[in-house]
Amino acid sequence: MIHLTHNPDLTSSVIYGLGWVYLLMFLMNAVWVKRSYAIDGNCQLSLGGILGKGQQIPYATFWAVYAGILLMVAITHLTGWKNPQQFSLLMPEILKEPINRASNPVAFFVGSTVIYVLMIVLRRWWTTPTAGWILLNLSLLFLALSVTDYDFRQIVGKPDNVPIVAMLYIVGFFTWLYFKKSVDNDDRRAAGRPLFEQENSEKVLTWPDLVYTELVCMVLVTAVLIAWGIVLQAPLEEPASAAKTPNPSKAPWYFLGLQEMLVYFDPWMAGVVLPSVILVGLMAVPYIDFNKMGNGYYTFNERKFAVSTFLFGFLPLWVAMIVLGTFLRGPNWNFFSPYEFWDVHKLELLNNINLSELFWIKGLGQPLPAVPAGASFAQQAPIILMREWLGLAAVVFYLVALPNIMAATVFKPYFVRMGFLRYMVLANLMLMMMSLPIKMVLRWAVNLKYIVAIPEWFFNI
Amino acid sequence: MNHKCFLLLGNSGGAVNNWLSAREYVARINQDAPLQQAGSSFLHTNHSFRVKSNMEEKKPSTADILAKIRAQKAAAAAAQAETPAITAEIPPAEPVAAPAVTSPTVTAPVAATKPVDAGPKPSSTKDIMAAIRAGGVKPAGVAASAPVATSAPVAPAPIVPAAAVPKAPVAAVATGPKLSPQEMLQKMREAKVAAGSAAPPVAAVAKVVVPVAAPPMPAKPVAAGKGAKPTTTQRGLAGLTTVATLSGLFLLLGYLTDSSLLYGLGLLAWAALLTPFAAAWTAIAGIGGIWTLGTARFMFPNVLVEPPSKFKVGPLSDYPLNTVSNKWKDQFGIWIVHTDQYEGRNMIFALASVCTHLGCTPNWLDGEQKFKCPCHGSGFYMTGINFEGPAPRPLERMGLRIAGDGMLEVNKSVKYQEEMGQWADATSYVEVV
Repeated sequence: MIHLTHNPDLTSSVIYGLGWVYLLMFLMNAVWVKRSYAIDGNCQLSLGGILGKGQQIPYATFWAVYAGILLMVAITHLTGWKNPQQFSLLMPEILKEPINRASNPVAFFVGSTVIYVLMIVLRRWWTTPTAGWILLNLSLLFLALSVTDYDFRQIVGKPDNVPIVAMLYIVGFFTWLYFKKSVDNDDRRAAGRPLFEQENSEKVLTWPDLVYTELVCMVLVTAVLIAWGIVLQAPLEEPASAAKTPNPSKAPWYFLGLQEMLVYFDPWMAGVVLPSVILVGLMAVPYIDFNKMGNGYYTFNERKFAVSTFLFGFLPLWVAMIVLGTFLRGPNWNFFSPYEFWDVHKLELLNNINLSELFWIKGLGQPLPAVPAGASFAQQAPIILMREWLGLAAVVFYLVALPNIMAATVFKPYFVRMGFLRYMVLANLMLMMMSLPIKMVLRWAVNLKYIVAIPEWFFNI
Repeated sequence: MNHKCFLLLGNSGGAVNNWLSAREYVARINQDAPLQQAGSSFLHTNHSFRVKSNMEEKKPSTADILAKIRAQKAAAAAAQAETPAITAEIPPAEPVAAPAVTSPTVTAPVAATKPVDAGPKPSSTKDIMAAIRAGGVKPAGVAASAPVATSAPVAPAPIVPAAAVPKAPVAAVATGPKLSPQEMLQKMREAKVAAGSAAPPVAAVAKVVVPVAAPPMPAKPVAAGKGAKPTTTQRGLAGLTTVATLSGLFLLLGYLTDSSLLYGLGLLAWAALLTPFAAAWTAIAGIGGIWTLGTARFMFPNVLVEPPSKFKVGPLSDYPLNTVSNKWKDQFGIWIVHTDQYEGRNMIFALASVCTHLGCTPNWLDGEQKFKCPCHGSGFYMTGINFEGPAPRPLERMGLRIAGDGMLEVNKSVKYQEEMGQWADATSYVEVV
């Protein structure tokens, strides 16, 4: 029967592998039960009166129950893997459907921005060890259940996508670590206690402490790389041909943010100008950063602006774009939700229009000012500039007037503190960064293609 | 007290010039704004600088200064016994010699009016550097002003300051803690004792060098041989050309006159070319020439492996109305499109299969009736007009005509861009009637 199934959701090997994953999760949580029993203490449980006035129960009990369920699930997988047709521990359709329906670029971007905001607002909560552990377990459960879906597995399980999943966990862990340490230090500052780094400034010797650590890391990394190279085969494809582009055609994973950016901008902007601005902007950070705090220790409260700005550029605008490009962009660069089949013929309405068309045709109800055929440059220029006046004005306003308005209003303290030149560098870097989400939102909201569209001069913004 | 300073005063009148009293003079002038680390570094430059700067703050009149000078004279007379009398000639070669001062009444105002140049009291490194520069430029006249004050009445002769102007202590003076006048005087007295014991042996040296034990400022590097041009033998191309011309001339004359002597001379001249230098030049010119020729040759390869830019794609009847032919895409990178959707005219044209966004190869999707690029999702109608995704302009047309044998012939060496109005060009399409 297996060979008749079109897209077998489950195969024996997947179930068997998942069994080991659940077993590993059980072991992790068994250790956590021990830790929780030693540290977390008790809670009062009354179960709505069933237990009378209530009873003292260690928090570890809940973890033990959870670990026990994991163990049973693992046993189910490890014993029932031979019969995938009857296996029913799948990602429930009731979860898949809403996720599929809610998935679109807008929801993705808005969602990642909301997560970014929550991450900062709730930093005190989610950096506690228990909260971090819950989040880790939830993400692992989500991943393990989703792998039972054929389409999800095809994408996430692709050998060149597996490391990106690992990278997401690493990014998550280090973000968590940063917020945990800075929350701790901010508390210490508030209470007038010395910083963690001051209190624990024990110095160790390079030899042997550091060198031994490095040796161990070297051995571990080598072992992981060898195992990885053996287990996951390199995804080689057919010989390259100039006449045939793979569909979808994807950049290396670390450039998928750039590729996503290219969807919204002219190649000259997204391929040359904005990457250069990113690089130069990162180099300019020491120049524009006048905040001396946070030097040599973790802190958030003392560097709110710097950390929030950097994290916004890094998490929603770079990492989330990599996720979007890797997992959610399919053939013809269409958007596909996580459990959706990558259909080459998926039809998406993407009729984009330029701002000039929006203004002249939709706004004024008249055709675009047309350049007469065979016109010289001097004849062309005024017509083209008149055609694009709104977009040009908007860009000039955005890059020239807006920094000054900001200097007079919201960024006044920065302007006063930094001086004209440094402030202008900062303001323009920020505006350049914000141009990406603005352009994305405009594309999604009104199908805007270019704010200034002068293909005659290869100039599009 | 490490710093010793000596004034060599030209003293024709035999009057004793007292450098210690000069210090006191300075100290008193500085009473309003005491010298920082007084006594530790009494050196001419900073002295003069301090004097200047303090004067600037207070602007003492000539009368004030003269009064102070008179007070100094009394003190000098008292201290005379224990101070070394230093006499010296004016070193003729001394570049920093003070301008000849003829009378005290002139000297003092000079000192008083100088501060305008000196700038305010040094507080930052910048100020100190400025002070050093100011001191370095004209230290003599200013430095001399203090001693002039003491020796003025009897010193019509030019006054020469003690020589090389030490720069280092300025920093020390400027950065140290401020001292009260009493502390300053105290330190000065200590300095007097220390310096007095160490002074005489050095003072005897005619060529005055002030030993400075303070950490010296890094001196400006002075080019040692500046001005003296290195005398290298110049045997460049000019020499080479001369030798070559000469030898050529000799050989030519030898040939014309059939003289073996001239021949021999010509060959000798060529041998002269074989000096290492000439040989190197010859070699470099030869190799450069060969490379240039090789590069030029590279531009004209024997075999061109690219497809011809003009090729036949079959008769009109191969391409039914409103179809896109993928037939030539792999080989030549073009689509042949036959459509009546562009301006309502029934025409055939060749579209380049290069996306106008970033150059990927789009696919013709027959079901959707559009070209779709897999890289960033740009979409084009059958006519080549862009309508979705980021592509900023339509696909490009290639030249197309009906050849003499009735076949369609594509010319890839020309392209026609719609946004430039070039699609109106009759060579960009073939009208079907």
